[in-house]
Amino acid sequence: MSPRLFLKFKGAYMSKKDNPIMSWYKKLSISQRQTVTAYLFLLPALIFFFTFVVTPILSGLFTSLFDYTTKKFEFIGFGNYVKLFSNTIFLKSLKNTVKLVVISVPIIVLFSLFASVVLYQKNAVVRSVFRGIFYLPVVTGTVAVVVVWKWMFDPYNGVLNYVLMKANLISEQIQWLGDKRFAMWAIIIILITTSVGQPIILYIAALGNLDTSQIEAAKIDGANEWQVFRHIKWPGIMPTTLYVVVITTINTFQCFSLIQLLTSGGPNYNTSTIMYLVYETAFKSPYRFGYANAMGVVLAIIIGLFSLIQFKLFQSDTE
Amino acid sequence: MKKFFVLLMTLIMSISLVACSSGSSATDSTPTDEVVDVEDITTLEAEITWWAFPTFTTVDGVSGKYEESLVAAFNEKYPNIKVNVEMIDFTNGPEKIVTAIQGNTAPDVLFDAPGRIIDYGRSGYLVSLNDLVEETGLLEDIANPNILEASSDGETYWMYPTSAAPFVMAVNKTALEKEGLFDLVPSEGDRTWTTDEFIELSKKMQEAGYYGVEIFAGGQGGDQGTRAFITNLTNANLMNADLSEYTLSEAAGVEALTLINDGVKAGWLAANTGGVANDALEHFTTPTNSTFWAVALWSPNLHSARQEELDASNIEAIAVTLPSKDGSPKLEYLVNGYAIFDNKDATKIAAAKEFVKFLSDDEVIGKQNVLATNCFPVRTSFGDLYEGDENMSYYASLTKYYGAYYNTVNGFGSMRPFWWGSLQAMIIDDMNPEEAAVYFDENANLTLDE
Amino acid sequence: MKKLKLFDFVSMTLLTLVTVVFVFPFYWVITGSFKTRLDSLKLPPIWFINNPTLESWETLFKQPTLQWLFNSIFISVVTMILVCAVSATAGYVLAKKRFKGSKVLFSMFVFAMALPKQVVLVPLVKQISFMGFHNTLWAVILPAVGWPFGIFLMKQFSETVPTELLEAAKIDGCSELKTFIEIVLPIVKPGIAALAIFTFISSWNDYFLQLIMLNTRKNLTLQLGLATLQGEFATDYGVLMAGASLAAIPIIVIFIAFQKSFTQGITIGAVKG
Repeated sequence: MSPRLFLKFKGAYMSKKDNPIMSWYKKLSISQRQTVTAYLFLLPALIFFFTFVVTPILSGLFTSLFDYTTKKFEFIGFGNYVKLFSNTIFLKSLKNTVKLVVISVPIIVLFSLFASVVLYQKNAVVRSVFRGIFYLPVVTGTVAVVVVWKWMFDPYNGVLNYVLMKANLISEQIQWLGDKRFAMWAIIIILITTSVGQPIILYIAALGNLDTSQIEAAKIDGANEWQVFRHIKWPGIMPTTLYVVVITTINTFQCFSLIQLLTSGGPNYNTSTIMYLVYETAFKSPYRFGYANAMGVVLAIIIGLFSLIQFKLFQSDTE
Repeated sequence: MKKFFVLLMTLIMSISLVACSSGSSATDSTPTDEVVDVEDITTLEAEITWWAFPTFTTVDGVSGKYEESLVAAFNEKYPNIKVNVEMIDFTNGPEKIVTAIQGNTAPDVLFDAPGRIIDYGRSGYLVSLNDLVEETGLLEDIANPNILEASSDGETYWMYPTSAAPFVMAVNKTALEKEGLFDLVPSEGDRTWTTDEFIELSKKMQEAGYYGVEIFAGGQGGDQGTRAFITNLTNANLMNADLSEYTLSEAAGVEALTLINDGVKAGWLAANTGGVANDALEHFTTPTNSTFWAVALWSPNLHSARQEELDASNIEAIAVTLPSKDGSPKLEYLVNGYAIFDNKDATKIAAAKEFVKFLSDDEVIGKQNVLATNCFPVRTSFGDLYEGDENMSYYASLTKYYGAYYNTVNGFGSMRPFWWGSLQAMIIDDMNPEEAAVYFDENANLTLDE
Repeated sequence: MKKLKLFDFVSMTLLTLVTVVFVFPFYWVITGSFKTRLDSLKLPPIWFINNPTLESWETLFKQPTLQWLFNSIFISVVTMILVCAVSATAGYVLAKKRFKGSKVLFSMFVFAMALPKQVVLVPLVKQISFMGFHNTLWAVILPAVGWPFGIFLMKQFSETVPTELLEAAKIDGCSELKTFIEIVLPIVKPGIAALAIFTFISSWNDYFLQLIMLNTRKNLTLQLGLATLQGEFATDYGVLMAGASLAAIPIIVIFIAFQKSFTQGITIGAVKG
């Protein structure tokens, strides 16, 4: 491009008067303009989203219809899905996944709420200290936390059995991670400690932002603590609760490294979740990628259903 | 704030631009059949990547330092071949290799063991090493034919083996001597013993307050240890002779599982349904609350890796063979070796072969590398590298007990979860021994066809 | 009132007791990095450091630990900045503008954010290698920016921006960009601070993505680098603990740096599907 032409070209874009884009924009109706502006704002997000999320998801969906391993790539329609639902290990993992979410999400939310209600009116130092403490497992990092817990749970040289035996509470070692009565709970406990930090921070902030005049007024009218909580505080922090429930559910569904590092899904698949099974299927010989992708799709549908139910529940509750 | 925001937007825009422009760099594929005929290989110019698990003893506590020194030595001879060393770990390294293959970023040379390598070979990702094996005269020089068997899928050599060692078990000599029971341990000759002798000693040590052999079943780490230990107790066969079927549910297999179940329940064996070999080894070498008199997985390289802990705990550990019904065990063994990935570049493949030859067979480096794995050379011409080391010469004498190498059968990797899964199911009473054996065979046999 | 005090007392006692399981792993990691291996495993546990040793820290710093630390920080900081920028703009229009396709887009975001990354791992690796980013720090950063969780969060925060304020700005002739920068951003600032912390930490701990995307030794992150020190049958706990202690420092710094702005006035907006 010659410099002159370039200047001309540049001029066309720079001068507001005869800028073709500007004049096109001016011709649009107000709602159309809204749309154009909105998409300009969304552009960076959409570029990243479509390149690094949507494309891989579609490709995963597509390959779930194939017998896809390192050795072959053959179209088999819904064959993988049919196989899935006759696979007892998959069904067991499905059950565990739902169990894990249904048990730990309410505990995490209720515990965070309880801790925040107790802490939010305490003085700043107490509040900060507790907030920091509940966040410590995140600071420590999953791998290190797991190493420490694994040592505590060790049946022979672990501190937990040692203490219980010294106190004469048990006479024989408990296989914390190898006993189907305890293994899932062991994982749930660690999951809880690594998950409540964020919700507590958000709840304390949300409670602190509530309109105090309303609370005072209700108290003057003779409302007791429980009534104040139920009718003023609880609705006030509802958006935070929705948010906390959603992120906790997501995190719980993705609970993977805890299982990988602690139990490998055992004993006898009692702690295996779909997430873990997807990993085992795709990354252990014979690398059944198509089959794993089909599991991923089922997992995605379940997660989608959960989100839908949650949104519906909360919508009806706030309206 | 405003400036900051503008800066951000610019950053995003420039990134998306880069993202779009760099997508076009397509890789040219050169057919692999093309043979690079270089008269003087030392002038070959190439850049290759070598991925290594930390199998060589770490020098100065710095991972990769030893491997780098090998590359430096290699470059003195072949200055035009650049080698990039990458260390991978045992926890997630295998997954990393799989994704790298899928993402066309596989290394050129991999230092690993047959279990995975043969699988990559069958899937068509590796270069056949038949020519290399022939060219270097490995076939005539091999110390044990089993090792060659372990390096191929029956037709093609996918791995170039360099060192090997048997898996045995170890006993705590210090504890046994303290209880005056060490003479019940076979300490002469090949140190073989029968199942009855083993059980007798187990029960005596249990009475003396020790824990017995730990049956770990919480994952696949070191699960070859429990497979060998359990099947040898009754001379059961995990697979039939031509490795076409799993046969744990035959009478001997069920008998072995029953023995394990009884032992665990009676307390002369210790169960750990949530642990892996690493935990059992830890319990054995670093007793803090409970002392174990034996461990079911041991090898010369494990021994040297754990020596420091044993010293700190004042334990003398000695290796013995696995107990078996007839006193003649079948041992598992590990083989270390190299594989070369087919990255569709004849020059790289030629360079990789030179590199593998150098690491394995070089007069100085070859022997040094075998020593760095604490294993034994696969070549007879390397001679006795551990002359005068009584301990090592014992391990070396065990080659005659090597069993059939089944780690290269199809679907080996997906059989393993069923192995420790059925052990767990039996120990936690989800299944009785017979059900567990049948469950294992049924599922494991399916993996053979995958 | 008495009842309330009792409730408060019981609750505080309970919370204080519970803190043990939160503090202990951290305490054990920090002290463990100065102990010998045998001392960390002993029973009854050795609660304090008897014979402090720097051996683990020395081993740690014999590796290119500083390079790894830098890589970890670079990845987390850049991801954090990009996620905040991308999410703040997108979240704002999704919350405050009516336009064609907004509902569909938002549903897509909500659905996708819940999806575990492992599910799309192989296709993602293929995509990244095709674009030529594999084994660069960008291979870890870019997919994390694409993950739409931040958009969801910023949409919730942006709901709290009063619509009247935006209309007033429009009447005053403020351009869209100016409105966003001068009116919306200050209001959602605590939200951005929250998102910044969460993004930094999740990208700091996203071990799996790093593992799959980074190969070269000089490109490793702290977590990846430490993993290469572990053998198949032995784990050097001391070095692991020292590494974890080092890795905790940047998170603590970030937490403290942003804590003030995001614990004051953080609000999550109205609930709309």
